[in-house]
Amino acid sequence: MSELDCEQVLEQVWTYLDGEMTEVEYLEIRAHVSECEGCGGKYEFQRRLLVLIEAKCHEGVHVPHALKQRLFRLLEE
Amino acid sequence: MGAAVTVQSRPPASAEDRERFEVLVGEHLDGLFGAALRMTRNRTRAEDLLQETFLRAWRSFHTFKPGTNVRAWLYRILMNAYIDGYRKSEREPEVVDQEDVDEFYLYSKVHESEDFRRAGNPEEALLSRLMDADVKGALDSLPEAFRNVVVLADIEGFSYKEIAEILSIPIGTVMSRLHRGRRQLQVKLWDYARRAHYVRSDSQSPNAAGGSR
Repeated sequence: MSELDCEQVLEQVWTYLDGEMTEVEYLEIRAHVSECEGCGGKYEFQRRLLVLIEAKCHEGVHVPHALKQRLFRLLEE
Repeated sequence: MGAAVTVQSRPPASAEDRERFEVLVGEHLDGLFGAALRMTRNRTRAEDLLQETFLRAWRSFHTFKPGTNVRAWLYRILMNAYIDGYRKSEREPEVVDQEDVDEFYLYSKVHESEDFRRAGNPEEALLSRLMDADVKGALDSLPEAFRNVVVLADIEGFSYKEIAEILSIPIGTVMSRLHRGRRQLQVKLWDYARRAHYVRSDSQSPNAAGGSR
Protein backbone atom coordinates (compact mmCIF):
# COMPACT_ATOMS: atom_id res chain seq x y z
CA MET A 1 0.00 0.00 0.00
CA SER A 2 1.37 3.41 -0.92
CA GLU A 3 1.98 6.06 1.67
CA LEU A 4 0.05 9.19 0.85
CA ASP A 5 1.63 12.57 1.29
CA CYS A 6 -0.27 15.60 2.57
CA GLU A 7 -0.85 17.05 -0.87
CA GLN A 8 -2.48 13.86 -2.11
CA VAL A 9 -4.63 13.68 0.99
CA LEU A 10 -5.79 17.29 0.77
CA GLU A 11 -6.72 16.88 -2.88
CA GLN A 12 -9.26 14.27 -1.92
CA VAL A 13 -11.03 16.11 0.82
CA TRP A 14 -14.38 16.36 -0.97
CA THR A 15 -14.53 12.85 -2.32
CA TYR A 16 -13.64 11.64 1.17
CA LEU A 17 -16.28 13.72 2.92
CA ASP A 18 -18.84 12.82 0.28
CA GLY A 19 -18.12 9.14 0.77
CA GLU A 20 -17.27 8.79 -2.90
CA MET A 21 -14.25 6.52 -2.68
CA THR A 22 -13.42 2.90 -2.12
CA GLU A 23 -13.04 1.58 1.38
CA VAL A 24 -9.31 1.05 0.89
CA GLU A 25 -8.82 4.67 -0.14
CA TYR A 26 -11.03 5.82 2.69
CA LEU A 27 -9.06 3.92 5.32
CA GLU A 28 -5.77 5.13 3.93
CA ILE A 29 -6.86 8.72 4.16
CA ARG A 30 -8.45 8.32 7.53
CA ALA A 31 -5.21 6.90 8.88
CA HIS A 32 -3.25 9.86 7.55
CA VAL A 33 -5.74 12.44 8.78
CA SER A 34 -5.82 11.06 12.29
CA GLU A 35 -2.03 11.20 12.51
CA CYS A 36 -1.37 14.47 10.72
CA GLU A 37 -2.42 17.58 12.60
CA GLY A 38 -2.31 19.87 9.57
CA CYS A 39 -4.51 17.70 7.39
CA GLY A 40 -6.72 16.78 10.34
CA GLY A 41 -7.54 20.42 11.08
CA LYS A 42 -8.34 21.16 7.47
CA TYR A 43 -10.50 18.10 7.03
CA GLU A 44 -12.44 18.91 10.18
CA PHE A 45 -13.05 22.46 9.04
CA GLN A 46 -14.36 21.35 5.65
CA ARG A 47 -16.59 18.83 7.31
CA ARG A 48 -18.09 21.50 9.53
CA LEU A 49 -18.50 23.78 6.55
CA LEU A 50 -20.62 21.19 4.77
CA VAL A 51 -22.69 20.67 7.88
CA LEU A 52 -23.22 24.42 8.09
CA ILE A 53 -24.35 24.70 4.48
CA GLU A 54 -26.84 21.91 4.96
CA ALA A 55 -28.16 23.35 8.22
CA LYS A 56 -28.53 26.91 6.95
CA CYS A 57 -29.99 26.18 3.55
CA HIS A 58 -32.31 23.30 4.14
CA GLU A 59 -35.83 24.54 3.60
CA GLY A 60 -37.91 22.73 6.14
CA VAL A 61 -41.07 23.51 4.24
CA HIS A 62 -44.31 21.71 3.90
CA VAL A 63 -46.50 21.81 0.85
CA PRO A 64 -49.60 23.76 1.85
CA HIS A 65 -52.55 21.48 2.44
CA ALA A 66 -54.69 23.18 -0.20
CA LEU A 67 -52.01 22.76 -2.84
CA LYS A 68 -51.56 19.13 -2.00
CA GLN A 69 -55.28 18.56 -2.33
CA ARG A 70 -55.32 20.37 -5.65
CA LEU A 71 -52.49 18.20 -6.95
CA PHE A 72 -54.12 14.96 -6.01
CA ARG A 73 -57.39 16.11 -7.49
CA LEU A 74 -55.60 16.65 -10.81
CA LEU A 75 -55.03 12.92 -11.00
CA GLU A 76 -58.71 12.24 -11.15
CA GLU A 77 -59.21 14.23 -14.32
CA MET B 1 -53.15 24.38 -35.96
CA GLY B 2 -54.84 21.24 -37.25
CA ALA B 3 -57.09 18.94 -35.35
CA ALA B 4 -56.05 18.64 -31.78
CA VAL B 5 -54.30 15.38 -31.21
CA THR B 6 -55.06 14.02 -27.83
CA VAL B 7 -54.02 10.47 -28.25
CA GLN B 8 -53.46 8.74 -24.99
CA SER B 9 -50.08 7.07 -25.34
CA ARG B 10 -50.60 4.81 -22.38
CA PRO B 11 -53.43 2.68 -21.13
CA PRO B 12 -55.79 4.62 -18.89
CA ALA B 13 -54.61 4.67 -15.33
CA SER B 14 -56.51 2.59 -12.86
CA ALA B 15 -57.49 3.66 -9.39
CA GLU B 16 -54.78 1.33 -8.22
CA ASP B 17 -52.12 3.16 -10.24
CA ARG B 18 -53.31 6.39 -8.79
CA GLU B 19 -53.04 5.11 -5.29
CA ARG B 20 -49.57 3.73 -5.89
CA PHE B 21 -48.51 7.05 -7.36
CA GLU B 22 -49.93 9.01 -4.45
CA VAL B 23 -48.06 6.93 -1.91
CA LEU B 24 -44.81 6.93 -3.83
CA VAL B 25 -44.75 10.61 -4.71
CA GLY B 26 -46.62 11.95 -1.71
CA GLU B 27 -43.77 11.46 0.68
CA HIS B 28 -41.38 13.45 -1.53
CA LEU B 29 -43.61 16.45 -2.11
CA ASP B 30 -42.23 18.52 0.75
CA GLY B 31 -38.67 17.89 -0.36
CA LEU B 32 -39.49 18.74 -3.96
CA PHE B 33 -41.23 21.91 -2.84
CA GLY B 34 -38.17 22.98 -0.87
CA ALA B 35 -35.98 22.40 -3.90
CA ALA B 36 -38.44 24.29 -6.11
CA LEU B 37 -38.38 27.22 -3.72
CA ARG B 38 -34.63 27.28 -3.71
CA MET B 39 -34.46 27.24 -7.51
CA THR B 40 -37.20 29.74 -8.30
CA ARG B 41 -36.75 31.88 -5.18
CA ASN B 42 -40.41 32.70 -5.42
CA ARG B 43 -43.34 31.03 -3.76
CA THR B 44 -45.85 31.24 -6.61
CA ARG B 45 -43.36 30.02 -9.15
CA ALA B 46 -42.32 27.23 -6.81
CA GLU B 47 -45.93 26.10 -6.53
CA ASP B 48 -46.28 26.14 -10.30
CA LEU B 49 -43.08 24.21 -10.70
CA LEU B 50 -44.20 21.65 -8.17
CA GLN B 51 -47.48 21.20 -10.01
CA GLU B 52 -45.73 20.84 -13.35
CA THR B 53 -43.36 18.28 -11.86
CA PHE B 54 -46.22 16.38 -10.32
CA LEU B 55 -48.13 16.22 -13.60
CA ARG B 56 -45.11 15.21 -15.62
CA ALA B 57 -44.35 12.49 -13.12
CA TRP B 58 -47.90 11.23 -13.39
CA ARG B 59 -47.80 11.23 -17.17
CA SER B 60 -44.61 9.22 -17.23
CA PHE B 61 -45.41 7.07 -14.24
CA HIS B 62 -45.92 4.04 -16.51
CA THR B 63 -42.21 4.26 -17.39
CA PHE B 64 -41.09 4.27 -13.78
CA LYS B 65 -39.59 0.95 -12.75
CA PRO B 66 -40.76 -0.10 -9.31
CA GLY B 67 -37.89 -0.63 -6.93
CA THR B 68 -35.67 1.99 -8.57
CA ASN B 69 -34.79 5.34 -7.07
CA VAL B 70 -38.04 7.33 -6.86
CA ARG B 71 -36.46 10.38 -5.37
CA ALA B 72 -33.81 10.71 -8.07
CA TRP B 73 -36.48 10.09 -10.72
CA LEU B 74 -38.60 12.91 -9.30
CA TYR B 75 -35.71 15.36 -9.00
CA ARG B 76 -34.77 14.64 -12.56
CA ILE B 77 -38.29 15.56 -13.65
CA LEU B 78 -38.16 18.64 -11.46
CA MET B 79 -34.87 19.81 -12.95
CA ASN B 80 -36.13 19.26 -16.49
CA ALA B 81 -39.37 21.09 -15.80
CA TYR B 82 -37.40 23.93 -14.33
CA ILE B 83 -35.06 24.11 -17.30
CA ASP B 84 -37.90 23.94 -19.82
CA GLY B 85 -40.28 26.33 -18.21
CA TYR B 86 -38.61 28.67 -15.85
CA ARG B 87 -35.23 29.42 -17.20
CA LYS B 88 -36.47 30.17 -20.69
CA SER B 89 -34.23 32.55 -22.54
CA GLU B 90 -32.12 33.80 -19.70
CA ARG B 91 -29.03 32.02 -20.88
CA GLU B 92 -26.23 32.20 -18.45
CA PRO B 93 -22.88 33.24 -19.81
CA GLU B 94 -20.18 30.63 -19.82
CA VAL B 95 -19.06 30.03 -16.31
CA VAL B 96 -15.69 31.51 -15.55
CA ASP B 97 -13.84 31.39 -12.28
CA GLN B 98 -12.83 34.95 -11.60
CA GLU B 99 -10.14 33.83 -9.28
CA ASP B 100 -9.49 30.23 -8.78
CA VAL B 101 -8.80 29.46 -5.21
CA ASP B 102 -7.91 26.25 -3.47
CA GLU B 103 -10.21 23.92 -1.61
CA PHE B 104 -9.23 25.38 1.74
CA TYR B 105 -9.74 29.03 0.94
CA LEU B 106 -11.91 29.84 3.94
CA TYR B 107 -9.76 27.87 6.34
CA SER B 108 -6.67 29.76 5.17
CA LYS B 109 -8.37 33.14 5.37
CA VAL B 110 -9.58 32.53 8.88
CA HIS B 111 -6.15 31.48 10.01
CA GLU B 112 -4.46 34.44 8.35
CA SER B 113 -6.84 36.92 9.92
CA GLU B 114 -5.57 38.77 12.98
CA ASP B 115 -9.11 39.31 14.20
CA PHE B 116 -10.02 35.68 14.10
CA ARG B 117 -6.73 34.55 15.55
CA ARG B 118 -7.31 36.87 18.46
CA ALA B 119 -10.62 35.14 19.06
CA GLY B 120 -8.76 32.09 20.30
CA ASN B 121 -10.60 29.56 18.18
CA PRO B 122 -10.70 31.26 14.79
CA GLU B 123 -12.63 28.52 13.00
CA GLU B 124 -15.37 28.43 15.57
CA ALA B 125 -15.49 32.23 15.59
CA LEU B 126 -16.24 32.32 11.89
CA LEU B 127 -18.57 29.37 11.59
CA SER B 128 -20.69 30.42 14.54
CA ARG B 129 -21.06 33.95 13.22
CA LEU B 130 -22.22 33.15 9.73
CA MET B 131 -25.93 33.75 9.47
CA ASP B 132 -28.55 31.81 7.53
CA ALA B 133 -28.78 34.73 5.15
CA ASP B 134 -25.03 34.70 4.53
CA VAL B 135 -24.99 31.07 3.56
CA LYS B 136 -28.16 31.26 1.49
CA GLY B 137 -26.92 34.41 -0.19
CA ALA B 138 -23.61 32.76 -1.01
CA LEU B 139 -25.39 29.77 -2.48
CA ASP B 140 -27.72 31.96 -4.53
CA SER B 141 -24.80 33.90 -5.92
CA LEU B 142 -23.29 30.84 -7.57
CA PRO B 143 -23.71 30.42 -11.32
CA GLU B 144 -26.68 28.17 -11.86
CA ALA B 145 -24.73 25.21 -13.18
CA PHE B 146 -22.69 25.14 -9.97
CA ARG B 147 -25.57 25.97 -7.69
CA ASN B 148 -27.73 23.09 -8.88
CA VAL B 149 -24.98 20.59 -8.25
CA VAL B 150 -24.16 22.02 -4.82
CA VAL B 151 -27.84 21.98 -3.86
CA LEU B 152 -28.30 18.38 -4.97
CA ALA B 153 -25.16 17.22 -3.16
CA ASP B 154 -24.97 19.32 -0.04
CA ILE B 155 -28.60 19.98 0.73
CA GLU B 156 -30.46 17.12 -0.88
CA GLY B 157 -27.74 14.59 -0.14
CA PHE B 158 -27.60 12.88 -3.52
CA SER B 159 -24.54 10.88 -4.56
CA TYR B 160 -22.38 11.93 -7.51
CA LYS B 161 -23.91 9.16 -9.59
CA GLU B 162 -27.45 10.20 -8.77
CA ILE B 163 -26.68 13.81 -9.61
CA ALA B 164 -25.19 12.74 -12.91
CA GLU B 165 -28.47 10.99 -13.71
CA ILE B 166 -30.66 13.81 -12.48
CA LEU B 167 -28.87 16.43 -14.56
CA SER B 168 -27.90 14.13 -17.45
CA ILE B 169 -24.24 15.04 -17.21
CA PRO B 170 -21.14 12.87 -16.75
CA ILE B 171 -19.91 12.14 -13.21
CA GLY B 172 -16.66 13.96 -13.96
CA THR B 173 -18.67 17.09 -14.68
CA VAL B 174 -20.62 16.66 -11.45
CA MET B 175 -17.38 16.52 -9.52
CA SER B 176 -15.75 19.48 -11.17
CA ARG B 177 -18.86 21.64 -10.78
CA LEU B 178 -19.39 20.60 -7.20
CA HIS B 179 -15.82 21.24 -6.20
CA ARG B 180 -15.64 24.57 -8.00
CA GLY B 181 -19.01 25.52 -6.60
CA ARG B 182 -17.78 24.85 -3.09
CA ARG B 183 -14.65 26.88 -3.71
CA GLN B 184 -16.66 29.84 -4.95
CA LEU B 185 -19.03 29.49 -2.04
CA GLN B 186 -16.10 29.92 0.32
CA VAL B 187 -14.99 33.09 -1.46
CA LYS B 188 -18.51 34.48 -1.02
CA LEU B 189 -18.72 33.48 2.60
CA TRP B 190 -15.46 35.23 3.32
CA ASP B 191 -16.81 38.28 1.54
CA TYR B 192 -19.88 38.29 3.76
CA ALA B 193 -17.79 37.80 6.85
CA ARG B 194 -15.73 40.84 5.94
CA ARG B 195 -18.64 43.01 4.90
CA ALA B 196 -20.62 42.21 8.00
CA HIS B 197 -17.55 43.14 10.02
CA TYR B 198 -17.20 39.73 11.50
CA VAL B 199 -13.67 40.73 10.57
CA ARG B 200 -12.21 44.16 9.99
CA SER B 201 -12.31 44.95 6.33
CA ASP B 202 -8.66 45.96 5.87
CA SER B 203 -5.77 43.55 5.55
CA GLN B 204 -6.89 40.17 4.25
CA SER B 205 -9.11 41.15 1.35
CA PRO B 206 -8.27 39.37 -1.92
CA ASN B 207 -8.95 42.62 -3.76
CA ALA B 208 -7.50 44.92 -1.17
CA ALA B 209 -7.81 48.03 -3.32
CA GLY B 210 -11.59 48.10 -2.99
CA GLY B 211 -11.65 47.50 0.71
CA SER B 212 -10.57 50.84 2.10
CA ARG B 213 -12.88 53.33 0.44
